[in-house]
Amino acid sequence: MDEGFHAHDSRAETTRRGFFKAAIGILALMNGIALGIPFVSTLLGAAGRRTAEWSRLSELDSLTTGRPVEIKFVARSEDAYHHGEALRTVWVTRHSADSATVLSPVCTHLGCHYLWSSERERFECPCHASVFAPDGTVLYGPAPRPLDRLPSKVEDGILFVKWQRFKTGTREKIAV
Amino acid sequence: MLNAIKEWADERWPLSSMAHLALSEEIVGGARFAYTLGSAILVAFTIQAVTGLVQLLFYVPTTDHAYNSISFMRTRVAFGWLVHGLHYWGAQLMIVLVVLHIVRVFLWGAYKKPRELTWCAGVALLLATMGFSFSGSPLHWDQRGFWIGEVSTSIAGTVPLLGDLMKQLIRGGEEMGQLALSRLFVLHVAVLPATLAALFGIHIIAVRRFGAAGPWDARERDRKGFFWPDQVFRDAVIGTLILVILVALAAFAPPAYTGMADPLDLSYIPKPEWNFLFLYESLKYFEGPLEPIGTVGVPTVLVAILLSLPFLDRNPERNPLRRPFIMAGALALGGLIVAMSIRGYMSPGFAEAPRTVPRGASVERSTQPGASAELPPWGGAEASEPSTGPPPESSRPSAASVTSRGIAAAGFPGKSAFVIGSAERGGGAFEKNCSSCHGPLGRGGVPNPGAEEGQIPALNPIDLALFHKEPRVFAENIDRYIQHGAIPSGPSPAIRMPAFGDSNTLSFQEIANVEAYILRLNGVDRAELLNPGVKPGSFFLVLACVYGIVALALGGAWSRRMKKEREGGQ
Repeated sequence: MDEGFHAHDSRAETTRRGFFKAAIGILALMNGIALGIPFVSTLLGAAGRRTAEWSRLSELDSLTTGRPVEIKFVARSEDAYHHGEALRTVWVTRHSADSATVLSPVCTHLGCHYLWSSERERFECPCHASVFAPDGTVLYGPAPRPLDRLPSKVEDGILFVKWQRFKTGTREKIAV
Repeated sequence: MLNAIKEWADERWPLSSMAHLALSEEIVGGARFAYTLGSAILVAFTIQAVTGLVQLLFYVPTTDHAYNSISFMRTRVAFGWLVHGLHYWGAQLMIVLVVLHIVRVFLWGAYKKPRELTWCAGVALLLATMGFSFSGSPLHWDQRGFWIGEVSTSIAGTVPLLGDLMKQLIRGGEEMGQLALSRLFVLHVAVLPATLAALFGIHIIAVRRFGAAGPWDARERDRKGFFWPDQVFRDAVIGTLILVILVALAAFAPPAYTGMADPLDLSYIPKPEWNFLFLYESLKYFEGPLEPIGTVGVPTVLVAILLSLPFLDRNPERNPLRRPFIMAGALALGGLIVAMSIRGYMSPGFAEAPRTVPRGASVERSTQPGASAELPPWGGAEASEPSTGPPPESSRPSAASVTSRGIAAAGFPGKSAFVIGSAERGGGAFEKNCSSCHGPLGRGGVPNPGAEEGQIPALNPIDLALFHKEPRVFAENIDRYIQHGAIPSGPSPAIRMPAFGDSNTLSFQEIANVEAYILRLNGVDRAELLNPGVKPGSFFLVLACVYGIVALALGGAWSRRMKKEREGGQ
């Protein structure tokens, strides 16, 4: 392709090499971007989780009013390509014959599971010593927001809950 | 600034001399597009390595979840379709490029002294590439991959004396199961990559030591060219072209879902990958005691021919026109391989008539691959009779029960609902098991005396209570009926929906296929991309536009330079 190429046009040779180098750079950059953007977004995670369903928790009559109890229940779970049942736990406080609050067992600070102290009548997180009142408000410690309430409903005296996770460490309650 | 960094680095690490070593190569006869094949293979392999690495973040090599993990990545991870599509098509392209590279080197006579070992390392690289292909397909644990794995590892078993030992070594036992999958996985992601890297090192060092063989014509050899930037520019152009082609294939020809591995689905006719079809075909000519000739003899002879070529053909002449005998021999061998591949492709397989499972035949679940360890997610397989009783209570999740035309579905969706089945394969199973009641193509119209509706419900179009535009929900809705059966309301319905899952009439893989087919009848794609990142077609369009504009700009700059040069030369 470089017929008629003589020593006298070494300037042309320089620009030719310059062109090739620039073109190589441009193509490499383009290919890097064309694959880099998709691959990085692949690493950023998956979407398309199914919406939570109502799970049956307990007959409301069987609970003592005003005292939080831990209730375990089985909910359909989805973890990427694993589908099945998972045992979940929530803290339930009965207020009356037809109302109750259901708290997520996850501390809003960094995601540890907190405990109920029956002596001091409060929730205490063993990880970083956040302390919550029975209704979930923050009493002491680093927790940025009250404990998260889960959507619940009472039908025919039976308490149902929707299992959900929320972002930890934020002031606002953001579902994940 | 850049120079300052370079100087700083050079004082501490031989940056410039390494770059010089890698790039400053003189090319006898000048740079050419014909010499880009080696680099093209490197580009394709790099794409394989990167997409393979990304896939490892999602894939699990277990018989129960391998298939679903790939489906998950493809449909619900942003650009998962691209990563998987590039890897699938890149694998095919690798083989094409390696073969073309070998043909090119053969035509140029570039395997002759002193490049014999370069050639042998190249042949070994071909074998490693074939090894990647052999070990890659079964990792899907879909119908296609499972049977490829089953047959190809059985072939190892036909080797005289050592066969059984070899087969056991590959499979980790007698059966094609979890241990085999683990071994093929480790082969694919650890052993072969390391082998390839070592062989590539040997190959590339030899290539750099002796340089490109160059043109056979002495007059052309006078001209000198350079690897950097002349040849690298051509390599970059071809590499870019490869990338665009692969993206197009990933976007417009995604690998088919062939359904989860299911040894019980006898309607599947196993065939090897296209690159092994000639070996598959050659097996048919050797029967009984001669079988090892086909399974082991033919491939061994082919490899032996390739490896010994530079030592047998010691004539220094490189012009193909002056090497008539070796050219004729190669043409005959190549023609034979192509003809055998085409014959293998056209052949209907060993089953001339489609094998069928008799209707109502019972299926033993525990013998299915991956089915043994795991219970259905919820809802029992315990009921083998169709029942309309209430769903299991207490600690079970509440069944958001589904009712269609007065027929309530009992129980929970089984695991079929979470498997992306093959609509193509589901069509066959539908015809055998479903269309006698639901009508051909599920159009309905079959009477059911004694039922309130008077007819068996049509599935095409399906009752709106069951329809859902999201494929997973749609599949779960119909799965309750297919798993557990149902009794239509009415005084004495003559026909009831059998419990295909609970009664083990169909395997869960087959049910997943049937569901994909029913979804398709209703205009829903079971394998719909729920989170594509950017839709495949749009992604390719944007890519093609940007690349097209850059190509035009580069072309314009080049022609201006040529014009200037011509004017300057006069």
